[in-house]
Amino acid sequence: MREPSFLMKTLEATSELHLRTNRRLQESPLRKKSEIVEPQPIHAPIEAPLRRRVTGGFIVAVLMTAFVGFSSWRYARLAAEDADWVVHTYAVMDALELTTKHVIEVETSARTFAATGQDSLLAHYEAAKATIAQDENALRRLTADNPIQQRRLDLLERQVDATLKFAASLVAKRQRLQAIPSDSEILETERLMDSTRDTSQGMQAEEMHLLSLRTNKTNAGRRLTSLIIVVGIFVGAGLLALARLAVNREIDVSTGARAQIIALNADLEQRVEIRTAALQSEIEERKLAEERLAGQAKELARSQREIRILNDGLELRVVERTAQLAETNKELEAFTYSVSHDLRAPLRHISGFSKILSEEFGAALNPDAQRYLQRIQDGTHRMGLLVDELLNLAKVGRHALYRQVTGLGAVVAEVVSMLTSESEGRQVEWKIADLPFVECDPVLIKQVFQNLLANALKFTCPRDRAIIEVSHREENGQHVIIIRDNGVGFSMKYADKLFGVFQRLHRPEDFEGTGIGLATVYRIIQKHGGRVWAEAELDKGATFYFTVGDLEQTEVKYKTTAAGAQL
Amino acid sequence: MNIREVDILLVEDSQDDADLAVHALRHEKLASSIFNARDGEVALDFLFCRGEFAQRSFDHPPKLILLDLKLPKVDGMQVLKEVKNDPRTKAIPVVIMTSSKEERDLASGYDLGVNSYIQKPVDFDQFRETVKRVGLYWLVTNQAPVNGLLHAAKQAP
Repeated sequence: MREPSFLMKTLEATSELHLRTNRRLQESPLRKKSEIVEPQPIHAPIEAPLRRRVTGGFIVAVLMTAFVGFSSWRYARLAAEDADWVVHTYAVMDALELTTKHVIEVETSARTFAATGQDSLLAHYEAAKATIAQDENALRRLTADNPIQQRRLDLLERQVDATLKFAASLVAKRQRLQAIPSDSEILETERLMDSTRDTSQGMQAEEMHLLSLRTNKTNAGRRLTSLIIVVGIFVGAGLLALARLAVNREIDVSTGARAQIIALNADLEQRVEIRTAALQSEIEERKLAEERLAGQAKELARSQREIRILNDGLELRVVERTAQLAETNKELEAFTYSVSHDLRAPLRHISGFSKILSEEFGAALNPDAQRYLQRIQDGTHRMGLLVDELLNLAKVGRHALYRQVTGLGAVVAEVVSMLTSESEGRQVEWKIADLPFVECDPVLIKQVFQNLLANALKFTCPRDRAIIEVSHREENGQHVIIIRDNGVGFSMKYADKLFGVFQRLHRPEDFEGTGIGLATVYRIIQKHGGRVWAEAELDKGATFYFTVGDLEQTEVKYKTTAAGAQL
Repeated sequence: MNIREVDILLVEDSQDDADLAVHALRHEKLASSIFNARDGEVALDFLFCRGEFAQRSFDHPPKLILLDLKLPKVDGMQVLKEVKNDPRTKAIPVVIMTSSKEERDLASGYDLGVNSYIQKPVDFDQFRETVKRVGLYWLVTNQAPVNGLLHAAKQAP
């Protein structure tokens, strides 16, 4: 019984371990899942309005830059134009001054020649006079775009012509007349010169005026452009600053988000690591458990194999032993059968024919022959008893116990009534107390009472008045049955021989007996797990005790039986 | 002895036992017609009217069969089995008289339908008493069917 239960325990333990591991493996994801914190919503990607705003801002900035560029370009253009105009103006003024200078040279040389008659002056006069046409052409070209100046140029040309004509007339007068210019003529010259100078100065003033006008105009444009540039720069800078702010914010946000993501990632990784470690350890544990299981299974298989081998051996031995026992039993049965059949048959023949002989031919025999015949019959009778009792003893050994609750009172009553018929003519007092119900084999227990009471009857034979008592007491939870007689008793010296086969304490001449009766009693009580013993004193009777049946057990059974009987 | 009309069929191989049984029966005036079959085969031939007993008829079965168990050729149990299995013979009372008190023999005897089972007592007085009782009971007290045949057996072709 210990082996299977140990195996069962091992199996249970390992399967429980397996279960536990499985359960943990199944549980853990759930547990872990509940621990995982839902990630905080990271900043949504740049929102659409913001994106639109940024795009708008960007477009504005591009336009601004283009505009600023354009304005700068325009400013430069204006500046260049301005410079052109200045150059132009100064060219006009230079031309005017040159013209005026040449005219003055012509007038001066002419007048001086006229006054002095110096020829060198004349050459000078001619040279200056020759350049004036060129100067005028240059002026015409320079002021072509300005009708007012053209008109003034016309006036100037006329005045210059007048001056040149007057000078020429002075020269001619000198050459021809050797006349010295008069004061009026000198005054005229001076007047002409003054008017020419005035016109020239007017033209110069006009040019300067135009220059200042243009300068003013370009200055206004420049200022506007500058303003535009400045404003554009500021707006652009503002936009850039805004963009920078926005970008900075975005960067901040995304940096925060990235930091968050990094932190979350780190957390996640840590968790993954922890989980992985946990899983790994679980896997290790499981592997260990499996290994253990495998080891145990191997061990189990080995012990099962061993057990099987042992069992096989055992079974083989049991089979062999059973076969041997069966063989022995068969032999024993055959033996008892042949004893029963083969020994009893010739005995019967001896008994039968000797009886017939004495009955039918007894009268013809002498008394000695008759006595011998009687002895033959007595012998066969004893042998018959012996054979029957030996068969009984053998049968007890083979007999399987059929235990049932048996009322010992009834059994004793039956045996006593049987014995009473055999003890006719004797004075026998039977003192039968109330006897219990015990669990026993009624057939065998009847044999016990039969043998013991027959003995009591036999050994009280010499008594005038035989007293045979049957009682019981309870001892150590067992029923003790007591059979007491006032017979011849026996010496306790031989008490140990009492229950042996063929052991007799009396001579056959004194008491008939086979020496098998008490051996049979002993076998029967032993088979019931009980005990039998005797107390006696020579000539003072004998008391036989035997225990049978477990008190408590029988009590319960008796009650149920009695209750059943009452129904 | 007229083997056509036999009251008791004694199936007994031992001459001694047969003689003692006959002696006991005669002593009780019950041995008017006894046939002793010395083995099972003879007993069966006698009962089923065959072989040397072919002239016998089922109309006159024995009133009692005293059957020993240990027999040469065909043993007592086999004889009992065939007698009790045949409608023509099953009504004949069979009493096993044997030395054996084996429970095994008792059980199989009753299993096969024996009418009585008696262990031969060693003591001749007891033996005689037993034989007397058996003979009186089955031959006198007991009421056998007419001609010892069952109604069903008569009807049979």
